[in-house]
Amino acid sequence: MPEIATVCPYCGCGCGLYLHVRDGRLIGVSPSRSHPVSQGRLCVKGWHAHEVVDNPNRLTHPLVRREGNLVVASWEEAAEVVANGLSKVLESEGPQAIGVLGSARCTNEDNYVLVRFARGTLRTPNIDCSARVQCVPGPAPTSGGPSLGAGAEEIADLDSADLILLVGSDPTEEHPAVAARVYRARQRGARVVAAAARAHPLARLADVHLPVRPGSEVRWLGSLLHLLLAEQGFAADADMPGLSELRASVAGLRPEDTEAATNVPAEALREVARLYLSSKQVVILYSTGLALSTVAGPALQALGSLAALSSRGGGPEVSVLGLLSRNNLQGCRDMGVAPDSLPGYVPLNDDAAVARFEQAWKCEVAREKGLRAWEMLGRVRAMYVVGDDVTRSLPDADAARRALEALDFLVVQDIFMSPAASMADVVLPAAAFAEREGTWTNLERRVQGIRKAVAPPGEAREDWRIVADVSRAMGKPLPYESAKQIFEEIADLASIYAGIAYPPAAVNGGIRWPTPEGRKAGETVAGSGEAEVTALSAEALKGPGARAETNEEYPLLLAADPTLRPWDGEVTVCHTLTSAGEFAVVARDYPDGMLCLNPEDAKRFGVRGGRPARVVSPKGESQMQVRVTEEAPEGIALVPYNQAMHSGLMEISTDPETGRPVLAPTPILVGPVQ
Amino acid sequence: MTARMLPGNKIDEFAVRLMRSAEVVAPRRVGEEDVFYGAIASPDEIAWDYGTAVEPLKRFLLPQREPILRFSTNGRIRVGAEYDEQQRVFLGVRCCDVTGVAVLDAMYGGDTVDPYYMSRRERSTFIALTCQQPEPHCFCVCGDAGPFLEGGYDQQWTALPEGMLVEIGSAAGEALVRDNEDLFAEAEVDQVAARYRLAREAEQKFGEFKSYIAGAMRKLSMNEVAPAVWEQAADRCMECGGCTYLCPTCSCFTVTDRMAGQDGVRERHWDACLYSCYAREASGHNPRPEREDRLRARFFHKISHQWAVRNGRQACVGCGRCVLGCMGWAHTPAVSEGIRRGVMT
Repeated sequence: MPEIATVCPYCGCGCGLYLHVRDGRLIGVSPSRSHPVSQGRLCVKGWHAHEVVDNPNRLTHPLVRREGNLVVASWEEAAEVVANGLSKVLESEGPQAIGVLGSARCTNEDNYVLVRFARGTLRTPNIDCSARVQCVPGPAPTSGGPSLGAGAEEIADLDSADLILLVGSDPTEEHPAVAARVYRARQRGARVVAAAARAHPLARLADVHLPVRPGSEVRWLGSLLHLLLAEQGFAADADMPGLSELRASVAGLRPEDTEAATNVPAEALREVARLYLSSKQVVILYSTGLALSTVAGPALQALGSLAALSSRGGGPEVSVLGLLSRNNLQGCRDMGVAPDSLPGYVPLNDDAAVARFEQAWKCEVAREKGLRAWEMLGRVRAMYVVGDDVTRSLPDADAARRALEALDFLVVQDIFMSPAASMADVVLPAAAFAEREGTWTNLERRVQGIRKAVAPPGEAREDWRIVADVSRAMGKPLPYESAKQIFEEIADLASIYAGIAYPPAAVNGGIRWPTPEGRKAGETVAGSGEAEVTALSAEALKGPGARAETNEEYPLLLAADPTLRPWDGEVTVCHTLTSAGEFAVVARDYPDGMLCLNPEDAKRFGVRGGRPARVVSPKGESQMQVRVTEEAPEGIALVPYNQAMHSGLMEISTDPETGRPVLAPTPILVGPVQ
Repeated sequence: MTARMLPGNKIDEFAVRLMRSAEVVAPRRVGEEDVFYGAIASPDEIAWDYGTAVEPLKRFLLPQREPILRFSTNGRIRVGAEYDEQQRVFLGVRCCDVTGVAVLDAMYGGDTVDPYYMSRRERSTFIALTCQQPEPHCFCVCGDAGPFLEGGYDQQWTALPEGMLVEIGSAAGEALVRDNEDLFAEAEVDQVAARYRLAREAEQKFGEFKSYIAGAMRKLSMNEVAPAVWEQAADRCMECGGCTYLCPTCSCFTVTDRMAGQDGVRERHWDACLYSCYAREASGHNPRPEREDRLRARFFHKISHQWAVRNGRQACVGCGRCVLGCMGWAHTPAVSEGIRRGVMT
C-alpha cells in the first residue's frame, strides 16, 4: 500500500495529503504531519479526496451533441467537431466572438496552455476565470499584497499573531486549515475579532464579534480608522501621502454615529481599537464574505490603509491575507488567465515581454484587452470552458445559464457532467487530480507538485493535452509532451516562477514564489511594495444606499452570505459519497432555498423552522424553507450565496470599478405560506 | 513474564524470516518526516526510532474503503463475497495501537462477528515495540495502553543496548520464538529489570495533553456533564471526522453499492458519527441533529463506563492522534478536561 504524497484538490489552503492505492484504485487518504499547511490535519473534503477521483459518475469518453443528444465520440472526432465549431465562429464573427474560461481547479500547466491556445491559436483576448469575480482588484493592502498575490503574508503568520481579525471570513467553512491555526492561536492566548453578520463558530468564540450589517463594511472600517486616528491617538506619520485625505474622509465617523447603520456597537468597536493598539502582530484574514460584498474594492482599500498606517505609524505589524476559495485560483491568475495580462502578470503593452512570448509560441498573440468572464456572457458567440460550472460560479447565475443556452457553440471540459457541461455541444472528459502530474499554487503562493497515483477512467486525459489536441485539429499544434516541459517554459517566460525546479515536492509544502531568483520580477509585478494610505470614498461609506434600506413594507434585510455553506452543491463534492452527505445538505433539505432567520424574527413573522416561508422583495417573490438559528442576526435573513443568486429576489448591482455583478442586500417581507 | 533476548545483530534476520511466510507491516518513513505503518520489502525500511505513526493499524484491519461483495444482475442474481486472506505480522508497532485492536475486536468479533474483519484479524500477529520517549501529544499512560504493556500482544519488544528484550504474550508469539530458536538467547535478570526501569522512566515523560479520563468518565457515566460543555465543544469542532478516522478504536462504517452496467460491487467505507449525515434517516429525521448531540454520542462511546464494560476497557487508548488531527479544539484531552471542569477553555 504505497502512500503517494500530493495536494488536496479543494480550497486554496493547499493541504498536503497522501493517497493510498491498491490494485490501481484509490482506497483512501491520510494527512501529512510534516506538511507546513496541513500539519497532520484534513477537513472532511480532504479526508474523502479519493471519492472525487474513483467515482462512477466520472466522464470517461468525449461526447458530441448529435440531434440534440450527447453521444460518445472518439478523441479525433471530438477534436474535429470542436475545431470546426470554433473555426466557423472565427470565420464569420472573428476572434472577439469567442470566449475562453480557465479553471481555478486545474493545474498551472493546464491554464498556461489554455492561455496560449486562446491568445495564440484562437487569437482571442477573451480569456478569464469566473472565480476571479471574488479576487478584489485595486490597490493592495500591504507590500504589493493580495490583489497581485505577491505579498509576504503566509498562513504561518497566525502562529505568532497576538490579534487575529476575521473580516467577512468564516474559515471553519471556507478554509479549515486556516481555521485550525486560528483555534490554536486562540488557545495560546491570541485575541480574535470577527467582523461578519453571521455569528459563525469563531465569531461566537471571539473576544469581540462585530455583527456588521452587509453593505456597511467600509463604514465600520472607516469608523475604526477614525477611532485610531482621532481618539486613540494613533501615532501616524503626518507626512504620509494620503493621510490628510484619509483623515478628512473618516472625520466625524464616531462609532456612536455609525452604530445604527452598521449594527456594530460603539463600545465593541472601541474595544477592537484598544486591542489593535495593544497588539504587536496583527493578522487580518478576509475571504469571499468581504470580496463578494457590494463594497469589496473600497473595503480592501480601507484594510490597506489600516495596515499602512500601522507600518509607518509605529502600530502593530500587520499581515493581510486574502483567502482564495479554490486550490489553484492563485495559480490561475499567475498563469495569465485574465483579460488584461499574459502569464506572470506581463502587461499586454510591454512590447519586449510580449515579443518573448511570441517568439516562444511561434505566433502572434492577441494583445488587446479582452472581456472579463462576466462580460463574455451574452457578448460572445462561442465559449470554450475548462473545469468551471459557469451556472454556479458567477453571481448572476441565471443570466449565465441563459447566455450559455444562447451560444452558437459551447465546449466544456470537466471531470463530471456539470450543469454547464450538460448544455454543451461537446463535452471533453478530463483527468482528475490524482490521475496526472502538474502544479498548483496555494493562497500563499506555494507552488506544489501533484502526482499521478492511478490511471484516468476510460479515455479521460489531462486538460492541457485536450487543449493541445484541439489546437492541432485547428492546424496549430502545441508542442507539449509533459507537465514538466510546460512548467519549465512557464518558469522561463513567467519570471515570477523563475528558480522553481520541477516538480516542487508537495511533501515539503512546495516552493513559494517569488524565489530569490524570481523576486526581482515579483517586485516589479507587485508594484513598489510601499504601503499606501487612501481616502475612503464617500459613496462606499454610504453603502448600498436606499435600495437596501428596510422599511415598513419590507422590514427584514435579505443578504447573500458567501461564507455560509460555500461547498454545498459544488460539482466536485456533490458526486462523492461522504462529502456529498455533508455538502449537499442545502440542496437536499432546502431545495428551494435556506432562509436563515434569528428565532426572534421567526417568531415576529410567524414562520417555523423546516417549513416553507413566503419571501417578497421589491424584485420578486419566492418560497424558501426556514432555518431558525442564532447564527442569523436579528433583522437580517441570510441565504447561502449560491442559492441567493437563483432566488430572483435580490438586486444584482454592478461594481462601479470593475463592472462585476454583485448581489446587493435587499429588503424583504417574510410570512407563512398561505 | 516469559522473556527472551533477540540480539541486535539477529533482528534483521528475524524480520527476513517473518517476511517469508507473511506480509510484514512495520513503521517506515514516508515523504519528509512522516511515519506510516506499511508493508516492507526489506528490514532496512523499518524506522525503529520513530515516535508515533501518522495512523494506527486500523487501515489494515478495516480499510477506509473495501469491496465486500460483487454481484451481477445478468439473468439471475449472483453474489460473491470477498475476503482478505493475507497473513500479516505487525512488527515494531506501538503499544497504544496494539491495544486499539482489542477494542475493534469487541466491536467486530463480539456478539456479531464481522467476517471481513475477522478474516484479517485471525491472520494477524502483533509484535509491539515499547515506547521510551512519548511525543508531546501522547497520553497512553491515561488510557492504560502504554507506554509499556502488561498483556494483549503476541510479543512485546523493548529496545535495550544489546538487542530486543522479547516478552511473549500468546501462543502465536511463543511459536515465532520456537520456530526461530537459533536467533534467540536467554534473557538475563538485569535485562528484565532494565525493562521495568525504562517503563517507569517513560511514564514520567508525558506532556501537556495528559488526560485525567477517570474524572470525565464518572461525570459522563452519571449524566452530570454541564450541557454548555457540549455546545462549547461544538463550536470547537469542524466536523472533519479526523478524530474518528485517526482513532485506533473508532469503527463506524457505511455501505454503498456501485453499479457498472449489470455488474455491481458493494463497498464498505469509513464513516464518522460526527457527520451530520451519519445518523440521518431516510425520512429526513435526524436523531442527532446538532453537532453537540453528535459529540456527546462520540465521547460516550469513547470514555463512558457503560461502554468500557461492553468493550472490556475504555475505548480511548491515549494515542493522541485526535490532538494532532483535530481541525478545531475538540479532541479527547480538551473535551475530557471540559467535562471535568464544566467549561471548555
